[in-house]
Parts: sequence; C-alpha cells; structure tokens
Amino acid sequence: MAKQSLSEQLDFVISRLLDRPDAPLPRDQAARPDDPSVSPTIEVIAALRDLPRPDFKARLKADLERRISMASSAQAEPVPEVRATVTPYLSVRGAAAAIEFYKKAFGATELYRLQQPDGRIGHATIDIAGAKLYLADEFPEAGFQSPESLGGSPIVIHLDVADVDALGRQAVAAGAIVVRPIEDQFYGARSGQFRDPFGHTWTLSTNKETVSPEEMQRRNDEISRQETAAPEEAKPPRGRATYIREGFHTVTPYLIISGAAQWIDFMKRAFAAEEKFRVPRPGTDVIMHAEMQIGDSMIELADANDQFPAVPMTLLIRSSDPDASYQRAIAAGAHPVDPVKDQGYGTRAGTVRDDSGNNLHIFMPLPGDKIFQEFRSVTPHLYADNAPALIEFMEKAFGGKEVYRAQLPDGNIPHAQVRVGDSLIALAGSIGRSTYPVRPSSIHLYVPDTDAVYERALRAGAQSIEAPADQPYGDRSAGVRDPFGNQWFIATHIGSGTP
Amino acid sequence: MSAKPDASEQLLIEAAQKDPRRFADLYEANFERVYAFVARRVGERADAEDITAEVFHQALANLHNFEWRGVPFSAWLFRIASNAIADRWQRAARESGSPPSALADDPPDPSASVDPEAIEKCARLFRLVAELPADQRSVIEMRFTAGKSIAEIARELGRTDGAVKQLQFRAVRSLRTRFEKKHQKRTRAKHG
Repeated sequence: MAKQSLSEQLDFVISRLLDRPDAPLPRDQAARPDDPSVSPTIEVIAALRDLPRPDFKARLKADLERRISMASSAQAEPVPEVRATVTPYLSVRGAAAAIEFYKKAFGATELYRLQQPDGRIGHATIDIAGAKLYLADEFPEAGFQSPESLGGSPIVIHLDVADVDALGRQAVAAGAIVVRPIEDQFYGARSGQFRDPFGHTWTLSTNKETVSPEEMQRRNDEISRQETAAPEEAKPPRGRATYIREGFHTVTPYLIISGAAQWIDFMKRAFAAEEKFRVPRPGTDVIMHAEMQIGDSMIELADANDQFPAVPMTLLIRSSDPDASYQRAIAAGAHPVDPVKDQGYGTRAGTVRDDSGNNLHIFMPLPGDKIFQEFRSVTPHLYADNAPALIEFMEKAFGGKEVYRAQLPDGNIPHAQVRVGDSLIALAGSIGRSTYPVRPSSIHLYVPDTDAVYERALRAGAQSIEAPADQPYGDRSAGVRDPFGNQWFIATHIGSGTP
Repeated sequence: MSAKPDASEQLLIEAAQKDPRRFADLYEANFERVYAFVARRVGERADAEDITAEVFHQALANLHNFEWRGVPFSAWLFRIASNAIADRWQRAARESGSPPSALADDPPDPSASVDPEAIEKCARLFRLVAELPADQRSVIEMRFTAGKSIAEIARELGRTDGAVKQLQFRAVRSLRTRFEKKHQKRTRAKHG
C-alpha cells in the first residue's frame, strides 16, 4: 500500500505539471517539506516534459543522411573529369650542372629557376620535348637527398621520344652512361636505358609497333621459357683457376696512394710484407705498379696520378698476434686509431692509420668465432651509405653472394661479407645514411671472362673507366667505377708469362 | 558540468569536415543537447523539432567553416539555434504585422546566456530514458511526449492503471537515481 500511494502521489504531481506546463515547480518546502528527495524528482519530471518524441531523433538522422548522400552525388556529377599530372621531381647534387647536362643530352629548355642565397637551386622547371620536369639541388638537411647521397635511385624516368637512337647518341655524347643499349623490345618499343652523371636513370623509348596485351603476355612467356631452358652460367671452378694469375686470388686490393714506395717500406716493417714486383717510372721513385705479399694474400699498389687520384682504403689484416702486429705498425710509423681489444663480435682487433691514409684493421678471430674464420691475411673493406645496394651491385656485376650481414635496429650495417669467386669482401654501411665514413676503394678482380663481367657491371650501374683490352703482361683487363665510387679492375689471366 | 571540449570531439569534427558521412557521429553526440536547448526556449513540440532540424541542417551545410578554437562544438550549435529561434520570432512578427515585442508575453531573447549546465543535465536525462527497460520507457514516452493519460496508456498496453502508474513510478525513480549517480560521478571526476 505504501508503494501504491507513492506511485499515486507521483502521478498526481506529473499530471499537474503536464496539465499546466507553465506552473511553477513545487519546491521542497511545498507538498512534503520533510522529504528532501522530492526536489530532484520534480527536477526530473520537469525536464521530462521536454523529452523529444521517440522517433524524432531517428527521423532527423535519416533526413540528414539523405541530404549528405544527395550533396555528395550532386557534387560528384557535374565535376568534369579531373586529369592528374605526374611530374618527376629530381634531387641532384649540382642542379645547375644537371640543367646544363639535360640541355645537352636531351635538348631540355630551362623554364624557371629559383636561386637560394647559398647558391643552391631551390627549384627549377625544365621542358624536354614538351614534358615537364622539376629539379632542385639536394637539401640533405631537409631529407631531400640526391642519388649520390643515397647510393642510387630506384626511380626510372621513362621518356618517350620521336627518335630514340638519335637522342641516345646525343645523351651519351653529353656524358650519359649506357645501362642497357638501345634495342627493339618485345612489347613494341625500341628503347634503352641510360644513367646521367647525377645518378638518375632514364629509359629513352620510341614506339614501333602496337602490341595487344595478349600478344605481349605471349611474347613475355616465350622469353621466360627460353631463359629457363638456357644452361646455368658456368660457375668459377673451385681452387685456383687458370684465369687467376699465379699467387693471386679472385680479389686483391689495388691501392692507389701517394707515397707508394714509402708505403711498401712501412708494410715490410709493420707486417713483414714481401715485395714481389715493382714497375717504377723510369728515373723516379714513382711506382707505376707494384705487388707484395702478406701471408697468403697479395696487395697491389701504384702511386696516384691525374687519371687515378689517391683512394686510400681500409684493409683487414689477419694476424696471429694482433697486439704485437699493432705495436710493430705503430713503431713503423702508423698512427693509432683504435687500440687492440677484444671486440664483441668475436675478434681481438685494433686499427691504425698509415701515412698514406689507409686504415689497417689488425684482427685475430677469437676461439669460437665463426664469422671471421675464413678471412685470408688481407681482405679489402668497403663502405657505402646504402650497403644493400652495394651488395646487390656485387651480386649482379660479379656474381657475388652475400654470406653475412649484421644489421642494427638503426639501419646501420656494421659488418657484411660478400663472397666473390674464391675470396671474401667485407663492407660496412647502412640501409640509409651511414654513420661510418664512406670512402671509395679500389679492387683488382680476376674473373673467367673480362668482357662479360665488364658488360654486366655496366648493366648493374657501373661507369666505364677502361674498356676491355689485352695487356702486355698477359691479362685481359678492364676498369669500371661502381655507383658508390669504388673502382674495380676486372682481369682474366690469358697469357702464361709472368709479369 | 558543461560539455568540455575534448580531443575526441575535435577528431569527430575533422573527420566530418573531410567526409560528410561522418557527420552522423556529431549528430549522435549532440542531438539531445540541441533539442534540450531549443525545447527550453520554444513552447511547442513541433516548433522545437523544426528548429532542431534546422540547426543540424545548417551545421551540416556550414561545417567546413567551423574552426576548432577549443570551444565545445555544442556552443557553436547553440549559437545556430539561438539565431534560428530569433529568426522564427522575427518572421512571425513580420507575418502578423506587429513588432516581435508585441507578439508574446515572453519572446525568447537569443542573446540570453545559455545555461550549459542545465542543458547538459537535461540532455543526459534524455539519454537515460533511452536506456530504461522497454515497458518503462514506453510509459514515459507516451506520458510525456504524447501527453497521454494513465487510462489511455493502460488501454494501449493492455494493463491496469495501477500497473502503469507503478511502471511510471519505477521509471522516474530509476531516472532520478541514475541521474544523481552520474551527476556525482562527474562531479568527483572533475575535482579528482
């Protein structure tokens, strides 16, 4: 009964409030001054008078949604077809020179140039046969890096032109490097690929034939079948091959340095190197070519000249007593860089720098080490900002194989190893910008077929230094510079004579 | 106790500015507030619905003009609502040929300050009604929005008058309890 009376009481209040919406709300001192809970109840009831109708919220929502969909379809229809344009924006080291090159190579016209106070070009627009391109100097501080900073570019600029052969000749004459020679392609174009001196890759193409997608696929499948059927490329035989000169391995560091004669003396004192051969410039102590042996390895060297400026490099020198070797190197005139200590990665090692600027990393694999066991007495060590790209180059050009890679979370690659032929090449770098010093190296490589490897190296992005030629000392040799600045002297020993 | 501007509201606005279909989220978050604001100023339910609809139509059309300055989105909606109410009074005045002041005893003053706390409480109460058990909710809706008597509701639901009164009583008690609970929780949160 008490509950009944409460619900009756409440209904009485509600009825009054609903009948006379404008009546003042009963206050707590009104009907039941002893019950403080009346006031909040009245508050609730009063507010409920404004309660929206149950279906109104949903109706308005449906109405709004109808308007939204009408507005969006009304907007979508009358807008004419929008044509997006894609414009390559090239980052180059030396934009002014690049503009001059593109004028010569591709007949570009300069449309606009924005000069920065520091001399760099902040933006330029050029026109190549009606195609627009943007370019600017690299601004590494703003993350705008050129192929030279990145160690290559993954983008190919495809340029459709009226006469691919004529423009190809013009581009090469201006200094472009042939990556793939111009030839008729199965998809109906005649095209070739070129790398400009700033590291950008261009496909020049002229359409010759309209090929249907089905026919294109058919031709592509046919080519794939032929390639699969072709015998696997002959692998270099194990052990010392006849194309490798006696006493050498696939890989030999070829140091081009200043003070070559002094360096030979230093290496004799520091590492008991044995001089095997020396060609001095007549009447001088300038060394045109020299060879020396340390342990089971050869080192070749020459004095730097105008054609081949000095490229001091890093050599890993294996020693059974790195502490003693380090001390001897210091005593012979080397400068300490990093004293000998146990390294976390499995060696006891230290580093010195000699007067010619080479870094010599003296190491001994510690017991249990598996990473450095196979190293010979001397191993060249390369550096690249983009270490994977350098590895890929060695794989494509020289048939190298990555056998080890240590990669840190920050992208740095403190150590990687690539096997080329019977030898290992060590390298360090990064997958982005390296915190290691980047400097080019110079390596002598014995291969079964100089001409083929030379061609492969060019296809993999290298520039030619010397075309393949027979040498009087019984080698057929060539020279290339890879996209990372390293020089590779490719040779096949063909003669039986000794140097 | 007013709606505090918060990051999630800003996200909802930015999303709706990019894609109008996301406006539905803003509508869901603000419907009760706007309706409460309008209903307090407009006597007739039909007028309140018209004006509420107009507020959201205008908000949708002008959302791209809304700039986030840390003020709650509802304040912007209230301004639209105030203008819409004032327009309606002025139009009514023009149509009747008399100045607005002569039209009614208490023409709403659009510049009158909003009591955001009362609006917020009211809006919360509306949302609480939607959470009531179905039979309680039906009684409340029929009684308060359709203005039906207990006898009419009892006939419609096939129940006794006493049972309907009981449902009404439980509903109001439950609303009051949850209303106070939420109120306290919010107050604690604010000071904690």
